[in-house]
Amino acid sequence: MSDRLPGALTRRPARILLLAVALCLPPFYLDAFWLRIGLFSMAAAIGAVGLSLLSGTAGQLSLGHAFFLAVGAYGYAYLAGEPGPGLPPVIAAVLAVLLAGAAGGLFSPVAGRVKGIYLGIATLALVFLGHHVLLTADSVTGGFNGRSVPPLELGGFAFAASDPELVVLGVPFGAEERLWFLGLALFAFTWFTAGGLLRGRPGRALAALRDSETAAAVMGVDVARHRSAAFVVSSMYAGLAGVLLALAFRRVVPDYFSLALSIDYLAMIVIGGLGSVAGATAGAVFVTALPLLMTRYADQLPLVAAPGSTEGAVGPTEAARYLYGAAIVLVLLYAPDGLHGLARRVREHLRRRRPRTPATDPVPPPPQPAAAARPKEHTP
Amino acid sequence: MNDRTPVAPPALDVRDVTVRFAGLTALDGVSFTAAPGSLHALIGPNGAGKSTCFNVLSGLCRPDAGTVTLGDTELTRLAPHRIAALGVARTFQNIVTTQGTVADNLMLGRHAKSRAGYAASALRLPSAVREQRAHLARAREIAELTGLGHHFDSPVGLLSYGDRKRVELARALCLEPRVLLLDEPVAGMNAAERARTADVVRELRAELGLTIVLVEHDMGLVMRLADDVTVLDFGRTIAHGTPDEVRQDPEVLRAYLGTGTQEEEAA
Repeated sequence: MSDRLPGALTRRPARILLLAVALCLPPFYLDAFWLRIGLFSMAAAIGAVGLSLLSGTAGQLSLGHAFFLAVGAYGYAYLAGEPGPGLPPVIAAVLAVLLAGAAGGLFSPVAGRVKGIYLGIATLALVFLGHHVLLTADSVTGGFNGRSVPPLELGGFAFAASDPELVVLGVPFGAEERLWFLGLALFAFTWFTAGGLLRGRPGRALAALRDSETAAAVMGVDVARHRSAAFVVSSMYAGLAGVLLALAFRRVVPDYFSLALSIDYLAMIVIGGLGSVAGATAGAVFVTALPLLMTRYADQLPLVAAPGSTEGAVGPTEAARYLYGAAIVLVLLYAPDGLHGLARRVREHLRRRRPRTPATDPVPPPPQPAAAARPKEHTP
Repeated sequence: MNDRTPVAPPALDVRDVTVRFAGLTALDGVSFTAAPGSLHALIGPNGAGKSTCFNVLSGLCRPDAGTVTLGDTELTRLAPHRIAALGVARTFQNIVTTQGTVADNLMLGRHAKSRAGYAASALRLPSAVREQRAHLARAREIAELTGLGHHFDSPVGLLSYGDRKRVELARALCLEPRVLLLDEPVAGMNAAERARTADVVRELRAELGLTIVLVEHDMGLVMRLADDVTVLDFGRTIAHGTPDEVRQDPEVLRAYLGTGTQEEEAA
């Protein structure tokens, strides 16, 4: 919220362009394993931005994020696939996102009235309900074994291994390479829209609700309406993340969308820093990539067993959970505003150090909470 | 962004308002009328029900009996955000600002005046961007008017107490109110800050022709600024009139200074 509106715009386009170019490079240099990590991270980032909007900006806890991810993922798989209506995949994807939003809207009588941690408890029910439905509604969800996800097609171009065969700059473009660019586009869309929301009228209303419901109401903010709206918007981002996840997995199974997934998303936004789009992204990459990397390098890590072995040591996935559990504790203790706040403080610290020569220019004291003034090294 | 109404603001009429909290009667049949464009002060010792009265006026508290009307509109059953949309703005006794900069807080004040919804803001439609820019300009004007111009982009948390109080006032003004409710605007301020705030309030009346209802303990300020004064004690109106009339009212003197009767002890 505190981002200056105009000012920074002059340098930003250059930086954004540079970032965009850098993000387009990996498919040309990295193999499918790394691309898949990137893809899952992008999907997680989209979902985390949605949750950050709800929990960080509006101050509403949700443990039901996995449910809305499932609605998006299964919604797409059902609407575009067989058995199902077999709609054109793009339309199915859009409808799946809207479906997730509608599911959030159905919950709005609760989401509009219930506050903070109580909403967390209420949304807990959604996860169990959703999981049960996924397991039992065989004809739609495929039951325990889940169902396969049809690839996305856009005007005859499939985001799959072939059809049409595609070689760009000597690199054969398979499913991962193509999906990378799709993920990038959706991710950019998420940044664009979430930034607009946060800096616009709705974002201010939600932040006001979080800081003081009374002040917000007296300044003309319709409390229940904005609470529900935040929930719906967050559900739609979750739905979009779900669609991308489904495309990346190529198969959706009920057990993925468990309470643990909701907790993962909360971990992402806590580690990243509540209420910031960049923080949610950083947290999402951290929480998503860590278990995958540890699985890959399990044989080279001490105290971690290779996947599938029964040596009694800690499996890579559990080890990753321990690590980001530790990360959460460290963040809460030393950087309550997450990686985002940490980065900002380091930046300010550097800026304060640099202009020592122009003595006439008094440097204003940077805005920082007194308790967390010293910069910390990065969390593991 | 000049959407101030040139016509005189409607009268704010409070009729027989009663509020009970469990066994306690916080307001007991309180009535007064703030005439259009006047400054009506509401005074009384601590616990007299002044803030409760403000909570009723701004919709935060529903009265058990009685009505509040603004012109022809009854406010009593409306939600706070609807009352705000009708042009009733208020400040709080203990500062209630949100995180972020002064600009963020003032832009919150523009909420009821702006329209951009979720879709328009998310997609950054030209209409939403234009609206935001226009409202930001108006918020800056209001910051200048209240002496916050040079703090416009500062985080509210870094401002002095007096300045934060002024942020609340400016935020209320951002609503372009027809009726302004000020809950102890100078409490805790030093003499210089008090004088400055009094000047701002006086200017506001002169320039915008607002109806102002003021709750304040600083009697000097009340006597200098107010057109009418209503005195509350234990939720009841004990006196009403011009500042001079009220100053000589025996009931008021008793409520403020005490007379040592049994009635006083019993209460």
